[in-house]
Amino acid sequence: MWQQLQEEFAPQGLKIIAVAIDNDVEAVREWAATAPDLTVLIDRYFVVAERFGIVNVPATVWIDEDGRIVRPADTAMGDDRFRAFAHIDSAVHHDHLRAWVTTNQRDLNDAQVAEHMVLPTADVQQARLHQRLAVFLHDRGDEDGMNEHLATAQALAPHDWVIRRGSMPMQGKDPFGMPFFEFVQEWNEAGSPGYTLQTGREGTIGL
Amino acid sequence: MATVINDTEHVEVKATLDNQRWLMAPELFTEMTGWTLKADGLCRGDICAPLYQPDAVTANGMIDLAGAAPLMGMTAVIDIDREIAAVTTSASARSDEMTSLQAPDFTLENMSGDPVSLHDFDRRKVLLFAWSSW
Repeated sequence: MWQQLQEEFAPQGLKIIAVAIDNDVEAVREWAATAPDLTVLIDRYFVVAERFGIVNVPATVWIDEDGRIVRPADTAMGDDRFRAFAHIDSAVHHDHLRAWVTTNQRDLNDAQVAEHMVLPTADVQQARLHQRLAVFLHDRGDEDGMNEHLATAQALAPHDWVIRRGSMPMQGKDPFGMPFFEFVQEWNEAGSPGYTLQTGREGTIGL
Repeated sequence: MATVINDTEHVEVKATLDNQRWLMAPELFTEMTGWTLKADGLCRGDICAPLYQPDAVTANGMIDLAGAAPLMGMTAVIDIDREIAAVTTSASARSDEMTSLQAPDFTLENMSGDPVSLHDFDRRKVLLFAWSSW
């Protein structure tokens, strides 16, 4: 779908940059081959998540011609493949996008953009650094060190999907398995922290 | 050599790792961060951050990475035993930047291994799509 959106909006000059917050370079390469018009970048250290306050993926941020953020990080699904789980109507985001790209009409004003930014706490920033050290140690083959830093990261930011779920693959945990469903339940019980806009949301995340 | 992870960069640095402190010679610290220890405090260009708690920032003429970080609008996590540290923007500095609505730049590699920055697409509308295979 992102490839289709890039094709549709190329005449208006829109550029879609797909940042893979991911350690699995081969999986990213396979996906990139299906979206040849996108600029696909790999973010092994979760840098973009830190810069823009991205607490879960997939998510989008919109940036205008002056380098201003006109829509903050918000969950956005390419299509409705995961609608039974995520309960998001993906078309709502794309309709807003179409309006912005073709007529400059925004669904949020500046004050609303600022209000919906997911600002980090000191603990979340520390958790992100522990996660980076874990990636580095994973690369170095130091599994004990990796697990130590991931445990600290998860204790500091228990409700951040990028930290919790994003660390599962390097730990050999199934990001669609039981640890994930336990996390979702925990997160729902905590009041879905970090989800401020929820564009196209139709219900509670989960089956 | 010890390693500092600064965003996507890994910088090998000479540091004295002692008693749970990560200490660097002033000239090496300046080389890594762009900040210089002066009589007025820790300075970069015309900006100086006074050392309210000098003992947290310096020891034996060396600069303490974790203690100096807040003065630079940064935060650090150090792992002395493994000789690695990671630094990034502090929560308050990041929050100020985010609510300013000015998009922060970043540089990452594309699938060919070439660096690509957000500013390469200046004067265009950009949709940043963050995703993963997990």
